[in-house]
Amino acid sequence: MGLKRGVMEDNQKIVIGNKVITRKELFEEQEKLRKARARMHFKNKIKALIDLQKIASKWGKRKDVIIWMS
Amino acid sequence: MKNTIEIMNELKKEKLIKDYAIGGAIGALKWVEPFFTRDLDIFIIPVGETEKRLINLSPIYEYLKKKGCYWKKQWIIIKGIPVDFIPADALGKEAVENAKETEYDGTRTKVITPEYLIPLFLKAGRDKDVRKIEMLLEQAKINAEKLDEVLEKYGLTRKFNGLKKRRYGR
Repeated sequence: MGLKRGVMEDNQKIVIGNKVITRKELFEEQEKLRKARARMHFKNKIKALIDLQKIASKWGKRKDVIIWMS
Repeated sequence: MKNTIEIMNELKKEKLIKDYAIGGAIGALKWVEPFFTRDLDIFIIPVGETEKRLINLSPIYEYLKKKGCYWKKQWIIIKGIPVDFIPADALGKEAVENAKETEYDGTRTKVITPEYLIPLFLKAGRDKDVRKIEMLLEQAKINAEKLDEVLEKYGLTRKFNGLKKRRYGR
């Protein structure tokens, strides 16, 4: 029963603009993007980290976060 | 970041440290997608025998103080970046010696490779370290033979296999 529900959910269609994909394809797509981000240039990763530190400091109100100088 | 690396290179040039490499979260970040972290972990090989009972980092801190660096909580702030110095043990020393030479904004530096980061995180063993191991296993290119060799050498194979079994069921 659980397995059947899992398979059904995997094949459920999701519409994103003019693209129709299954939940399984969505996760596969996300995994591909993660791997692509892992190949980003080191300097750009540090820039992304600084943005995350700014978000943590402002939105998360984490005053103890030191925002790095690039 | 560039200025911080330049200071690290100065420490090496001034013979205050034998060598260094970036490890911890930023070391992992070199090989996986960007994620949040607060500080920069730098593994250093101190000058002289690392087997000595006492490692004196005072000359390094004195030099850094003269360069305008200061203490904040557990970190030393080097050019705006909180740095944690980790004097390398045997595994750390090998990790630094085998670290990948790379450039950051035109400045040379070294970053510890996944084959050493995984054993180092495994040794630390906190939840946040386990999460980084997972990211490396899922996203980084790993030389499995080299990783096995390092794990075996430092008696971490069982711990690693246990983690893999818990997380991935194999």
